[in-house]
Amino acid sequence: MSGPVVFALRLLLTVSLYAFLVWAFITLWRDIKLQSALLSGRKIPPISLSFTDDSQTPQVRRFIQAEVTIGRDPACECPIEDDSISGRHTRLSYHHNQWWLEDLDSTNGTLINEEKLATPTVVVSGDEFRCGKTLFTITLPGDTLMALAKKSSARGKND
Amino acid sequence: MHTHPITYPRFQIQARLLTLAAVFLFLYTLILTLAPAARARSWAVEYRWSQWIGFGVWGFVFILAHIFTRRYIPEADPYLLPLAALLSGWGILTIYRLVPSFGLRQTLWLFVSGLIFLVGLRLSPELRFLRRYKYVWLTGGLLLTALTLIFGTDPGGGYEKAWLGCCGVYLQPSEPLKLLLIIYLAAYLADRLPLSLRPLPLLAPTAVVMGVALLLLAIQHDLGTAFIFIFLYTIILFVASGKKRILLISLVALIAAGYAGYFLFDVVRLRVDAWLNPWLDPSGRSFQIVQSLMAVANGGTSGRGPGLGSPSLVPVAISDFVFIAIAEEMGLVGTLGLLALIGFFVARGLRTAMRAPDSFRRILAAGLTAYIGAQSILIIGGNIRLLPLTGVTLPFVSYGGSSLLTSFLALLILLFISSQPEDEPAPLPAPRPYLFLAGLIGLGLFALAITNGWWAIWRGPDLLLRTDNARRSIADRYVKRGSLLDRNGAPINFSDGKTGVYSRVYQYPNLAPITGYTNPTYGQSGLEASLDPWLRGLQGNPASSIWWDHLVYGQPPPGLDIRLSIDLGLQQQADALLGNHTGAIVLLNSESGEILAMASHPTFDPNHLDEQAAALLQDPQSPLLDRAAQELYPPGTGMQSWLQGIGLSAQPSINNAARLFTDLGFYTTPELRLPVALALTSAQPLRLSPLQVALAAAALSHDGIRPAPRLVMAVNTPAQGWVVLPSLSNAVQVLPVDTAISATQSRMVTNQPFWQWSGLAGQGKKTVTWSLVGTLPNWQGTPLAAVVLLEESNPQGAAYISQELIRVSMHP
Repeated sequence: MSGPVVFALRLLLTVSLYAFLVWAFITLWRDIKLQSALLSGRKIPPISLSFTDDSQTPQVRRFIQAEVTIGRDPACECPIEDDSISGRHTRLSYHHNQWWLEDLDSTNGTLINEEKLATPTVVVSGDEFRCGKTLFTITLPGDTLMALAKKSSARGKND
Repeated sequence: MHTHPITYPRFQIQARLLTLAAVFLFLYTLILTLAPAARARSWAVEYRWSQWIGFGVWGFVFILAHIFTRRYIPEADPYLLPLAALLSGWGILTIYRLVPSFGLRQTLWLFVSGLIFLVGLRLSPELRFLRRYKYVWLTGGLLLTALTLIFGTDPGGGYEKAWLGCCGVYLQPSEPLKLLLIIYLAAYLADRLPLSLRPLPLLAPTAVVMGVALLLLAIQHDLGTAFIFIFLYTIILFVASGKKRILLISLVALIAAGYAGYFLFDVVRLRVDAWLNPWLDPSGRSFQIVQSLMAVANGGTSGRGPGLGSPSLVPVAISDFVFIAIAEEMGLVGTLGLLALIGFFVARGLRTAMRAPDSFRRILAAGLTAYIGAQSILIIGGNIRLLPLTGVTLPFVSYGGSSLLTSFLALLILLFISSQPEDEPAPLPAPRPYLFLAGLIGLGLFALAITNGWWAIWRGPDLLLRTDNARRSIADRYVKRGSLLDRNGAPINFSDGKTGVYSRVYQYPNLAPITGYTNPTYGQSGLEASLDPWLRGLQGNPASSIWWDHLVYGQPPPGLDIRLSIDLGLQQQADALLGNHTGAIVLLNSESGEILAMASHPTFDPNHLDEQAAALLQDPQSPLLDRAAQELYPPGTGMQSWLQGIGLSAQPSINNAARLFTDLGFYTTPELRLPVALALTSAQPLRLSPLQVALAAAALSHDGIRPAPRLVMAVNTPAQGWVVLPSLSNAVQVLPVDTAISATQSRMVTNQPFWQWSGLAGQGKKTVTWSLVGTLPNWQGTPLAAVVLLEESNPQGAAYISQELIRVSMHP
């Protein structure tokens, strides 16, 4: 009988080894899913632009994509009806964990905090920039990771 | 329902994994205790208890480690500690299984390493002191190495003087040196980021690494550690700079170092040769590697079970070959798990590196991970002949205090680096080196898994049949080998004793040249060799019971008894008649072909083979040789006249002679499950074994029909009882009946019912005497024929022996 008893224990031994591995993988898989959920949200902190349009009504637009072009061209993400603005005037883009503002060789140029924008510049919440006659104010979420993490866990609870 | 991932708090993951590791190790310890019972197939055995100390200390150390990590570094990676715990516990128990006294020492080392780990947890997790005092670490490491070069010893008494120490405590400084070098390189390179590959800033570290590597190679002949140093330097430089050309340069450097080592140092050459051609010298230079491959083969898929294999057959199984011990006892299933654990550790280490808060800690974590991964691959690859064998340890698992302590310090640093998740990871300008490192180690582990499977499953059955596989003779001690019986059931060779101490008894030693021996040192011969599958129980038992016994006990089922056609009474007569003459006798039933007696003198006593083997092998009389079946003699003039009597003309044409010789079976190797000499072809000068001549003689006594020889009659199977083993050839009518009758009558011995021929053959000292004898066709009893061959010129003696033999055989 000793052989079969030990053999049964050996089967349990193998099961426990793989239980360790499988359980480690399961927790890891869940962690990866959580991380991907966090990171996919975190990737682009949504940028909000406040400005006054040509009919003098204040507007706020929120963008979740990584690139926002401002110009007269209706194909722009943020088309503006303003004759002093070029077709594709200026661009906001998110990379290296920052939002960057870049002038696209516009006729009248872009001013950032009332200074001429020569090179791509990092922008933060509260910065103002002017294209032609229109003044834009940038609003970004605060600590994006923390805010998102909170939002994400809150969403989980609400469900 | 929205499926949002449920995640566990870190410490809960760590606690759960540690619990599973504890369950695994508890079962391992328990099986190790019970293993002697399973091996002996009985509960009344002496159990193993000592490994419970190892399990207890392991539990103590890792419960504290869990509590302390939760308190001091609560945000640390929750996988690294359980992985290290499982690996080191598995290592300790494997070492206990191999050499209990070393298991105790390793337990002490685990205790010491654990204490250092626990004290180290109180350090600042930012590790600034590591970076600040980089030159202190470097100098310390180099100093230790330098001391080794001067005062180095080898506690094992070997040639690798790589240890420092006294009073029974030894440290191998090249282990901590790896760690210190990684710290130094990480600190040095992190201070110079972004790294340009100009030669000047890299001069110092390159000189240090190459110098140390070359010194180790030149003085300690430690190819493995030298390789690890160059590899780690490459990886750290690559990680820090992201430049691919470093890999190329390093590859060239490694090949150059390998070449230099091969041509300059015997140890390196020996190991590379043993790697390339292990089968050429399996008992010498490649003994280790061949033995370890057989151990892997014996492990197979499921393994023999803890304590149930024979991993101690592999030299230095506790340190260099610990993976092999695991492969034999846990099988492919276990080693794949082990490789997965290592892969998991590497994956978590690299993740820690990528998420590190600054580049110093990032490079450090990558270096430590590369160290654990590369060293594991190097030694496992060496064990299973994927790479040349190098004497490095398997981190966490192998025996060795320095190795275990170094592994624990690497673990501590990795845990510290991983414990800063609140900090934003430093920017990663070049992620490619990390992917490359992950891919390289992943590929390495995958190659190990495939190679392991190749030896364990594909090549396994062949390897286990090798005669230098000592597991067969170990199994003979535990499982009763079948007996060889004479035709009346009297034992000739049998196994005596009880499980664990069976030994072979040769009841009738004079038959030894024919029945042979089975010996753990000298292997097998004669019928013991040719009937081994039955005697060992691997043939004749149901396949299911062979499979089950191998799976559960790692042994074959009990062996099967075999009945021979030998009549021990007649055999005694034949041996007495042959006496001190050098020669052979074959006596057979000329109708059935059953061999009743077969003698070869001088003979030997296999009961005393261990003391006498060397003398027997050198004896000019070759007593081990079966002269009746394994030696060929010239037929000579006596045979000529005999052949003339049966129809060969005095001046035969070549065709006539060839036809007659073919008919008489002179060009046919007798088949009777006994090792025999191969018959010559008609193109060669005629030479015959006594067995061949006896079969031809039998045709005369049985109406010209040459019988098929039989020596092995029946095997006693568990399912069907005695099963007759049919003869392997057929009886053939080789002479017309009247030719046979007239030939025998012309040579009838006066007033006796038998015929006889005697004659000489050969010349000078090589002269032999043949005497053929047989019953007359009208004999009413059993028709018999016999051949006597003497390696001397003695026709009267031969005739006397043959006549006496046939007389006693006819009237028993």
